Formats: sequence, C-alpha cells, structure tokens
Amino acid sequence: MVKITIDGRQVEVKEGMTILQAAESIGIEIPHLCFHPAFPPEGSCRLCLVEIEGRPKLELACSTIVQEGMTISTQSETVRQARRSVLEFLLAEHPLDCPICDKAGNCQLQDYYQEYGLFDSQFKENKERKSKKVALGKNLILDRERCILCTRCVRFLKEITRTGELGVFQRGLRSEIDYFPGQPVDNNYSGNLAELCPVGAITDKDFRFQTRSWFLQSGPSICPHCSRACSIYIDYHVGFPRVELDKYVYRIRARENPEINDYWICDFGRYNYAYLEKKRATKVLVRENGQAQEGDWDSQIERLVKKIKEFYLKKKTNRIGLVLHSALTNEELYLAKKIFQEDLPEVNIFLIDPPEGEGDNWLLTPSRTPNLKGLELIGLQPQKFPPEKPLTELEILIIFAYLPHGEDQYNQLRSLLEKSHFSVLFTAHQTALMNQVDVVFPTTLLAEKEGSVVNVEEKLQKFPAALTPPGTARSEREILLTLGRGLGINFSFYRQLKTPAAVFDQLSQDISYFRGSK
Amino acid sequence: MADKEKYLTKLFGLKNLHKIEVYLQNGGYEAAKKAIKTKKPQDILNEVKAANLRGRGGAGFPAGVKWGFVPQGVEKPKYLCVNADEGEPGTFKDKYIMSHNPHLLLEGIIITSYCVGIHQAFIYIRGEYEMIARRLEKAIEEATAKGFLGKNIFGSNFDLEVIVHRGAGAYICGEETALLESLEGKRGHPRLKPPFPASIGLFGCPTVINNVETIANIPFIMARGAEWFTQIGLPKDGGTRIFGVSGAVKKPGIYELPLGTSLRELIYNYAGGLPEGKKLKAVIPGGMSAPVLKADEIDIPLDFESLMKAGSMLGSGAVIVIDHETSMLDVLRVVSKFYAHESCGQCTPCRVGVAWINKIVQRIAAGGGQPGDLETITRLASAIKGKTLCPLGDAAAMPILAIVEKFKDELLDQIGSLKDN
Amino acid sequence: MMDLSPETRKKITQLTAKYPQKQAALLPVLHLIQNEMGYIPQEAEIWVAELLGLQPVRVKEVITFYTMFLEKPIGRYHLQVCTNLSCTLAGAEHILNYLIKKLGIKPGETTADGRFTLTTVECLGACEQAPCMMINFDYYGNLTPEKIDEILDGLE
Repeated sequence: MVKITIDGRQVEVKEGMTILQAAESIGIEIPHLCFHPAFPPEGSCRLCLVEIEGRPKLELACSTIVQEGMTISTQSETVRQARRSVLEFLLAEHPLDCPICDKAGNCQLQDYYQEYGLFDSQFKENKERKSKKVALGKNLILDRERCILCTRCVRFLKEITRTGELGVFQRGLRSEIDYFPGQPVDNNYSGNLAELCPVGAITDKDFRFQTRSWFLQSGPSICPHCSRACSIYIDYHVGFPRVELDKYVYRIRARENPEINDYWICDFGRYNYAYLEKKRATKVLVRENGQAQEGDWDSQIERLVKKIKEFYLKKKTNRIGLVLHSALTNEELYLAKKIFQEDLPEVNIFLIDPPEGEGDNWLLTPSRTPNLKGLELIGLQPQKFPPEKPLTELEILIIFAYLPHGEDQYNQLRSLLEKSHFSVLFTAHQTALMNQVDVVFPTTLLAEKEGSVVNVEEKLQKFPAALTPPGTARSEREILLTLGRGLGINFSFYRQLKTPAAVFDQLSQDISYFRGSK
Repeated sequence: MADKEKYLTKLFGLKNLHKIEVYLQNGGYEAAKKAIKTKKPQDILNEVKAANLRGRGGAGFPAGVKWGFVPQGVEKPKYLCVNADEGEPGTFKDKYIMSHNPHLLLEGIIITSYCVGIHQAFIYIRGEYEMIARRLEKAIEEATAKGFLGKNIFGSNFDLEVIVHRGAGAYICGEETALLESLEGKRGHPRLKPPFPASIGLFGCPTVINNVETIANIPFIMARGAEWFTQIGLPKDGGTRIFGVSGAVKKPGIYELPLGTSLRELIYNYAGGLPEGKKLKAVIPGGMSAPVLKADEIDIPLDFESLMKAGSMLGSGAVIVIDHETSMLDVLRVVSKFYAHESCGQCTPCRVGVAWINKIVQRIAAGGGQPGDLETITRLASAIKGKTLCPLGDAAAMPILAIVEKFKDELLDQIGSLKDN
Repeated sequence: MMDLSPETRKKITQLTAKYPQKQAALLPVLHLIQNEMGYIPQEAEIWVAELLGLQPVRVKEVITFYTMFLEKPIGRYHLQVCTNLSCTLAGAEHILNYLIKKLGIKPGETTADGRFTLTTVECLGACEQAPCMMINFDYYGNLTPEKIDEILDGLE
C-alpha cells in the first residue's frame, strides 16, 4: 500500500495504481476522454492533467503511478484552467451540432463542458471541414468533424478484436480516422465502437436519429442470444403521457462485467432485439371447436392442473409430455425439475432449443440460449427430441417455447401434437403452434424477469427485470409456482417460494454449485 | 584563435575525406581501435561522463548519463539510434559531418556501441538527405571491408552492424520516441514517457539515442581524454559546438567554436556581420524552437546555461539572424505555419492549439487582424506550453510567445497598417 | 501483381532481412517503390502490407503521415521550394513567385506536359544556401531567377 494525499485527503491505495484509479477509488472523478480502462493509457487528450507537489509541470493522471508521499491536487485553479484550455481546444474545431447529435445528453465532451467549460468561444477562424457521413461498415457512421481523435476506436480494433480495420490517416489538424478502401469495420463487434466513442463521432446506424438519449432509461439484464450470457443494458423509452409509441426498446448496450464480457458485446446480441416487442403473445387463448377465444388465466391454469392431477392419481404421469428450453432462469428450471421430475414421476421431458449457430471464438458461442449450463447443474434430465422410440400417445403436452430465432425447431412437434389429447403452449411470441394447441398462455422474456443464469464458463449472474411484460403475460416462475401449489403434492414447499430470491435460496440449499453465491 | 581548437571540422577541407583511405591517413579509426583493444566498456563510460558531453541535438542531456541508464546484464538486445533527422529549421550541421566525414560518425558509433554493448546501430537520417544516406552506406561498406564493422571487428570478438534508415518527411521524427516509432515502420507519434528509451526503446529493447554531432565527439574524447575536452569548452559543458549561421549574414555556414563563445562574436567576427546597409533586429539562437533574442541581447555566451537564463535556449546551435527590414509578422507567420504543418496530431493542445494560432496569424497576415488577436495568441500559446505529450508543443509555443512579447508594438503597427490597405 | 524491376525486388529482399522486425522495413521499402514507380499506388500498399505481414491500413496510415510519400503520380521533376525562415529571409517568396509565373502553375500543381510539379516545403536543412529548393533528390541553393532559368534549362 502507498500513502498519498489527494485534494487534502490522506488515503492509502494499492501500489502500482495510477493517479486516476487512486482518485476513482475514493470517489474523486478526474475527467478523461482518451483513457479507457480496457487499454493502456494513451495520454493524448490531455484532459486528465493534475498537479503533483514538487513537479514543475502538470502530470497525466491516467498514466502516472502513485508514489509514497505524493500530494496530488485534482481541483486546483491551475488544473481547472488546464482542463478549460483542453476543452476550449476540443470545442474550437468541434461542429457543435449537438441538437442533431445522437450522443447529446450522453456525451462526455458535453458533460465536461458543463462542469469545467462554460466559456464563450473565442474561435473566430474557419473550422476544418471534414466528411460528416462516412460509412465505417454495415453498422456504423463516422462524423469526422465531431471526432476528437481519442483513437479509442482504433485501439479497440487493434488490441481487443485484433482485426485492426481503422487507422489514423494524414497528420496534424487534418488527421482523421479511416479504413483501407474496401476493408471497412465489419467484424462481429463493430457496435462497440459507437459505445466506446466518447463523443458523437461514431454513431450506430440502427440508433441514429431514432430518439434522444434523455428519453431513455437503462435496464440491466443479460443477453439471451448465446451461452456467454453477456451483461447488458436494455435502453428503453419511458414514453410520453398522451402519445402511444410503437417502439419502446431502442438499443442494447454492454454492461461492464470483468468476469464475463468486460465492456463489450457482440453485434449478434446487440442488434437482435426486435423480438422483445414484435409479435408478442399477450392474451390467453382457448381453442374450442376450432375457434380461438380469449380465456382467463386462472380458470385455464386450473383446467391444466386438474388434468395433470387426474393422470397423477391414475399413476399415468408417463402419459404427460413437457417441452422445455434453456432460455429460462435457474429459478424456473429448478421449479420445473421439482414439479415434473420429482413430484410427478416419469414425465417425458424434452429439451428443444434453437439450433446451434457459428461461434466466433470469443464471446459468441455456438449454443444460442443463455442457460444450458444452469439446466445441467440443476439436474434436469431431458430426453432427446425427437424421442428414440416413438411415443404412442400423450394425454397432456405442455410446451414452453422459445422463439426469438424462429420456430423451425418446433416443426417436429407437430406430429407429437396430433397424438396429444390435451396440449398447452406457454409462449412469449405468436407462433404457428398456437393453432394446434388447446390453450395458449402468454409468457415473459428474460428481459422481463428477475432471476439468474449460469453461462458457458459456469459463471452465475443474477439480474432484475428490466422491462414490463406486455398484456397479461406472466413469468414461467409464477406459472410453475401456481402449478406446484395447485397440484398440492408438496403444497407447503411451493407456498414459501414467493420471490425469485426465495427460489434461489432453496435452489442453493439443494445444489452445491449455487451455494455461497450471493 | 579558434582554429587550433577545432577538431570536428578540422579536416573538412581535405579532398576525399569521405573515403576511408583519406580518413585512415589522418589517424582515422585509431580511437575505435584503442577503445576496443585496450579499454573496458566501463572505462569508456567513465571517460564520457567525465567529459560532460551534452547532447548536441537540442535538449542538451549529458550523453554519459544517458548511456548509464541502459540496464546491463539483460537478455534483450540493445540498440543505438543515431538521430540524423536534422529537421529543426536553421540547422544543417549534421549534414556537414555526415557528408564530409562519414567515417568519423561511424567511428563514434563503434565506440559508443562497444561501450554500451550494442550490436546493431541505426542511423535515422531525414528522407531528404538521400545523397548523404548513400554516402554513409558507401562508408559502411568500406569500413566493413576493412574489418571495422561486421563480425569480430578489429580482430576482437565484438560484432557491430550499422544500418542507414531514411525518414520520409516529418519534423516530429527528430523527437526521440517518434523516431523510434518511425524506425519501427509506424507513424511518427511520440510515446508517453516513462518508460524511457534507455529501458524500453526500439522494438521494446534498451536503446541509446544520440545526435550525430554528439556521437562525432566520442572518438576525440576517446583519443584525447575527458580533461582535454572540458578544457576546450566549459567544465560543465565540454567541447566545441558546430554552430550553423543563416539569415542576414555575409557568410552563412557552419562554425565550430568552443561552448561559451559569445553570440555577438559568432555573428560579427565569424559570420561576417550583416550585409551592407542592414541592421540587426533579432536573432534566433538555437533553431526555430528557441525564443528570439532582440538586437541588444546578443552579448551572451553560447552555452546551455547562459541561454536558458536569458529565456531562450542553445538548442541545435542553429543561429538565424534577422535584419531590420524583415517584418516580425512574417517571421511569426513562418514559425506558426511550420509547427502547424509538423504537429503529428496526436495530442489535443498541439493539434488544435498550434493550428488555431496559425489560423489567427495567417488571417492577420492577410489583413484581417482584429483587436485582441495578439492577446489570444499569447493565451493559447500559454495553454499549450508544458501541457503536450511531447516537446513539440513547447517548441511551438515558446518562440511564438517570445515574438509576440518582444515585438508587440511592431506587430500591432503591422496589424493596423495591413487593415488600412 | 506488382510491376517492380528485379533490382528493386532484390533490394527489398535484402532490406527486409536486415531488421529484427519486419515492419521496420516499411519506410525503406516504400522509398524503393516510389523511386521506381514515382509514387505509391494502392496496389503497392497491399503488396507491401502482405510482404511485411501487415494490414494495408497500417501502410496507408504511414504513407499519409510522411510528406515525402506520394499517393498520386506527379511530374518528372519535383520542384520543392523551401519557404521556411532562413529561406524566407533570403527571399524565398520571390523565388516561389518566379517559378509560379515561369511554369504557369500554383504550388501543388503539375505542368500540362507532365514535366514539373511545384510544391512548397518546410526547412530542407540547407539554410546556408538560402533560398534553396530540391529537384527530386538534388539540392539547389542561393537561388536567383537567372539561376533558376539555368537549372531548368539544364534538365532534360
């Protein structure tokens, strides 16, 4: 440990820390633009200069390592003046087109100006004219006038993806970010550049001009599109009092998680979010005499419970089929196991997940669901589907479907459905399967649930619900609890599991992997 | 009087000095032979340290101290980079050394490399000096043929290879870490320090970087000793300097003089004074980055300390003489244009600030000067000074500040008269 | 495939072997290519990149940084007039204006017959011979209009 003084506060910090890190550790923020914790210090924006007692010049907070006895000032007039100067330089050649800039409201340059700048521009010269709409690849647009040449984008591609598409061309004031003709940024991580850009120079084509950042709120969640289960934010519109919007979710962003995805997510996870709102199932539908009618939750669940009970009492639970997927939370899979593998013996449990895709040897895994590992750890033992020896007949078929990647994988279910006397479908999306079942129940997506998953590297993540479910949709956890209680086989067990946290506690008592994780 | 003290340029008048035979006839490579055959590296280091040989490139850092920073006993190779980028406006001395006496530089490289334990040396020469680069390559061939370079030089078990590496038009590559980047095949963007090149330099290995003239001094220190060296110059600042004089003088050119010679003497006694009818207005004493001195400030000894006290610097020893007919606005215009053109663009104050100043100056020169422009220039230059990633920011800010401060009235007059026209 | 003479290819091979890291040979190789081709066409950037195990973008970063590297062909004679301080003090402006008038082109332009390209450059390190210019790699100092006439007449 090293003893230092920052802004008059004596603190002990870890040896080898930079001044920036040391200050951050005690809640003092030092403004910076080119520095990003994912890369070694660059030292080019010059915004993080601080005063160190006994040193003739201001020093960089991002790259200077703390030394025993150092006395640092991050707020002296000299330091503030230096910051004002850097901001003045940056803004001199900046187009100041904030009113039409997607970054406005969420822009580090804007924020720092609010805090340290607030000067009238003394710049009377002609600003450099540069291209304002350069397509950097299929997902990104570069505005060279807004660019402050922090080179975070260049360094990300050099050091993180190692694809190196971008470089700095020309020099001096004419320096600009560019790619070699015909070799734009089209790797699976391009979207990170728009997030990494501290100003509005690199914007996301998908988000460009769609809304203003101050209408958005960020809900923490996890990405359901592969077994990496990256930590994400879902940015959604808070809505207007009298105006109905046809779109609420505007973008997905990476949520820092050093255990799993650092500061990044892949484009596959980033841009596949339309499923959150498109073709959602919102009502309970009941099919009678070929006609679908709206039904109500309680009576239809009651109907299902009665059917199951009937075959339980007849000891014919082997005539019940259950289809699951691994985009469910640990809590849900655990309840499914308790009910359908323990309370009810011999139920035919099948796992139907989206088909595997290609992985990219970094974050994106071939498996396209987030909780395959959780399912294994919990001890659910589904059969292969289609089953090895054909099933003759099923009395009840219960399907939990997962459809963001299409529904091809459910085609083979059709033959099974024809042989089922009574079938119910729990789905978050409208699907062709709806016409072949007796009851459809609208369910929620991971983004709308509280719970946890275990990723491909056996890392556990808990997350809250980021979005509100549409219509009357209920989470699978609630549904399973209702079933568990309704069946009455182990009533008191399910009654006490009122919250996701309570289910998790129970789960961690049962299964050692989950023990000790908060 | 100075002629007997000349050593670096003493032989420059000889015909074909650049050929190895002529160099050998005049005692060439004796110092290197002596060093390798009879001295231990540590002895040489002590001698160079005792000589107080300060770097001739501009910053004036003691060469022996620099070599001493190189960690010994590490497994990585070590490199020598000779800085022959010579881009500081007004400077042309290294060109003379390399074109007249390339073998002197090679001999210095041999001794330096032997002292530090280096087996590969690079001469980073500015791209425009293509003819000189060829001459150096020819000299390397000759020296290799004689067994002075290559494997087992002078019959010892010491190997040394020298490579001439041409730049391609970028002033910033004279800055030592930009030079390293450039030599590695990259843009000449200066690196953050620390780490310093002595520990992490070329290809991530310990590296010594010295100016051509600095290295050219080494054979003489080797041959004649540190005591002789410090007696020629000043105790803390040994040896001679090759001053390059240009601008309004009768005899522009190089002058090798002991450190401490007065600026007035250099201009009037050696460079012949100003042409008939012209009067002295100002002098830039150490290359364009050195703050300008007014005509009444030239009674000053040319050495690092004295010029620093006078608010300027000895820099590369390039003296640019400005006569009374020259407009200081013109000088300011050339200075600001140069630095704006040569800023690498990496850090904010230099990239934007210097270009901003240049935009103001060009506007003034075009007749669009406004009240407050000079104050803005001063404010901006002060905001650049001491806050950039590499010394180029200071190199730009300091001369601009000095011109505006010392010639404010003249500049204001010119702003006014340009507007009236 | 790159259209380079066997001599240049040989020199390039020798060069790349000299450096501890391949990329270090980038500037010298680009010089060799430009010496032969007069400029560095895009296909050469790709070729060099492959030769040195780099991405083409790294080569372009370098070419656009250094003023001596040319991305487009220029005239047979590249007149580079120094306009830095010592030359300005010695009348570089008159020299430049004289050339502008004589050749009928502005700095940055090439004569219609493709003989001359005129550019202004920063200090060439020949301040003792101010005003000076370079034509291709040859230095010409102490320039006067008469001397310029003589020099240009002497060129093929």
